[in-house]
Amino acid sequence: MAVKDNNNLVKTTTYRVVLPFYIYAALAFLVATVLLFTSSHVFLQHYFQPTILAITHTMALGWGTMIIVGASHQLLPVLIEGKLYSNILAYLTFVLTASGIPMLVCAFYTFNMQWPAQYGALLINTGIFLYLVNVTLSIAKSGHRNVHALFILIAGLWLFITTLIGGLLVFNFTYNILSKGSLHYLSLHAHIGIVGWFLLLVTGVGSRLIPMFLISKYSNTKILWYIFTLINVGLLLFIFVFLYTSRALLYLVPVSLIAVALCMFGYFCWKSYEQRIRRHVDELMKISLLSVLLMIVPLIFLVSLANTPWVLAYGTAVFFGWLTAIILGMTFKTLPFIVWNKIYHEKAGLGKTPNPNDLFSSRMFNGMALSYLVGFICFTVGMLLTNSLAIKTGALLLLCCALLYNVNIFKILFHKECVK
Amino acid sequence: MVINANTKVAAILKQNPATLEAIISLSPKFEKLRNPLLRKLLAGRASVLMASKISGCSIEDFFAKLKPLGFDTDNTIPVSSKEKKKAPDFIRSLQPEQIVLLDVRPIIALGKDPLNVILEKIRALDDGQVLKILNTFEPTPLMHLLQKQGFESYAEEMNDNLVETCFYRKSGVIKMEAPTVINTNESLDEMLVTFKDKLQIIDVRNLEMPLPMLTILEAVDSLPAGNALFVYHKRIPVFLLPELVQRQFDYRIKEISDGDVHLLIFKV
Repeated sequence: MAVKDNNNLVKTTTYRVVLPFYIYAALAFLVATVLLFTSSHVFLQHYFQPTILAITHTMALGWGTMIIVGASHQLLPVLIEGKLYSNILAYLTFVLTASGIPMLVCAFYTFNMQWPAQYGALLINTGIFLYLVNVTLSIAKSGHRNVHALFILIAGLWLFITTLIGGLLVFNFTYNILSKGSLHYLSLHAHIGIVGWFLLLVTGVGSRLIPMFLISKYSNTKILWYIFTLINVGLLLFIFVFLYTSRALLYLVPVSLIAVALCMFGYFCWKSYEQRIRRHVDELMKISLLSVLLMIVPLIFLVSLANTPWVLAYGTAVFFGWLTAIILGMTFKTLPFIVWNKIYHEKAGLGKTPNPNDLFSSRMFNGMALSYLVGFICFTVGMLLTNSLAIKTGALLLLCCALLYNVNIFKILFHKECVK
Repeated sequence: MVINANTKVAAILKQNPATLEAIISLSPKFEKLRNPLLRKLLAGRASVLMASKISGCSIEDFFAKLKPLGFDTDNTIPVSSKEKKKAPDFIRSLQPEQIVLLDVRPIIALGKDPLNVILEKIRALDDGQVLKILNTFEPTPLMHLLQKQGFESYAEEMNDNLVETCFYRKSGVIKMEAPTVINTNESLDEMLVTFKDKLQIIDVRNLEMPLPMLTILEAVDSLPAGNALFVYHKRIPVFLLPELVQRQFDYRIKEISDGDVHLLIFKV
């Protein structure tokens, strides 16, 4: 679909670009939970070890990044009232990143930092670079700028910086290109990724989607600019403190800036919720709103970063808590509609078509949400109390959640046309 | 191709696109046909007879222009008398409060189709009220269309650029509110016929997200029972669909072209 409007072409990105990312992410989530279950004991040890690196990267890249990159190909044209600059760049991003991630993850798992890790890192970096180019050119061509598009653009830039540092760390194992060991730079790499990429993107996109799905009239661009500035300044300060000083207390400055940004985002979501037209909030939205609350959990763990269980709990709260919750909810708010549009866009005039929400099983969704919540709480508590049974139970429940998620995703993907 | 007084102008244009210039040369009133949208709308509704009335030229002028372009003419179809209809007494004795005035000239000047606005106005007419349309030509196709729906009309040329046409309900025809039986298996086109007298129309193509959704839901919430909502949209509003289902509305969607989507929303 395209329309000439103010000399600007509006076009929905084809499902061919978007669906591979969703499928890949679903499978990556399953792989990550299998790894979590089979090696849950390592979560009682130090965080810098092969299995945890493998799980973290499966979650951060295969699950979080892949689905967000895929969804932004769909969302960006809507936000900028334009079209995606290039489908070919999007396919290339998928192929390169999708082949790089397993190489990197396997390399971590077997802790072989030679060619598989290096080539994997190169592939991922190229893929992400092309994504950044695609996003930049799409926005440049549309001439329709807004705060949400800027969130996506700068988040993409931070993602590229994250993978670039990650790549350098991989090569640093073999070639000693950095002044210190790779472990030293780990928190720099992780925080640029978590705050610069995930947090910036989720707040930017969430501030558009949450009011839309709640059917809320609330809008407040000013507060979004504050959030954008606070997160970026906070992150830049963090990098400065990390590179040029050694005073741990100084970290409180960037942490509090970002905490203020999170509070503002929470306020924004609350206002949207209050001014919503739709009185009934569905399960999908509940889990997404829960994820907004879950943002606070990593922050609490971050303040007490003193010892290993808390660092691990922080990582778990970010990737299995906040990020997973928002993806679980948003997948079923987007994928059924993409598939519905693919199947019915030419047929919706001929007769009665199914409700996009009926493309997936809501019972299965509820089961998934429940096993997720209990699993996540169980796992986190198990880690903090160093209780291996709780960790194992939590991991098993998260695995169940991933299985249900996958079955439901494939139910949507294999939906058969029915026009009455 | 053999043409007669009842041949639609659109059919002639389709047969030979060169006829467009020939027809325009007949009268400056046909300049509107240069606009592709108006051409599609007006030429499809108007026959040669109607077109000649609109322009003020005779059917013979029409045939003479078209013959060199490869058309045969059939003059056996009787042409109604050109005798000027006398204004009904009723029209002459109208009080100002009985007249609903609608000037469609600005709408046509913008290249848009005034039909929807006209239909909306005419449906809202009370008994004894008259819709007076100001236009640059006698809207013969519209007069025929509305006659089928129980409206009489009377047109009077005030000057070269102003024709006033009055529409009023035929005496004895009461505003019908017949219950509509909805067959939910019907397509959008069939549904449009079902709801032709009970259609509200909105255009959300120029609104920025999320305004289209809010506008449509507001319109749906205030939609009178038995009516349907017709929406011009630039894309299929997928996120709206579950909201409609929740409100027990059904929908038909048709992609006309890139960026042009028609949506019909009605109560199940």
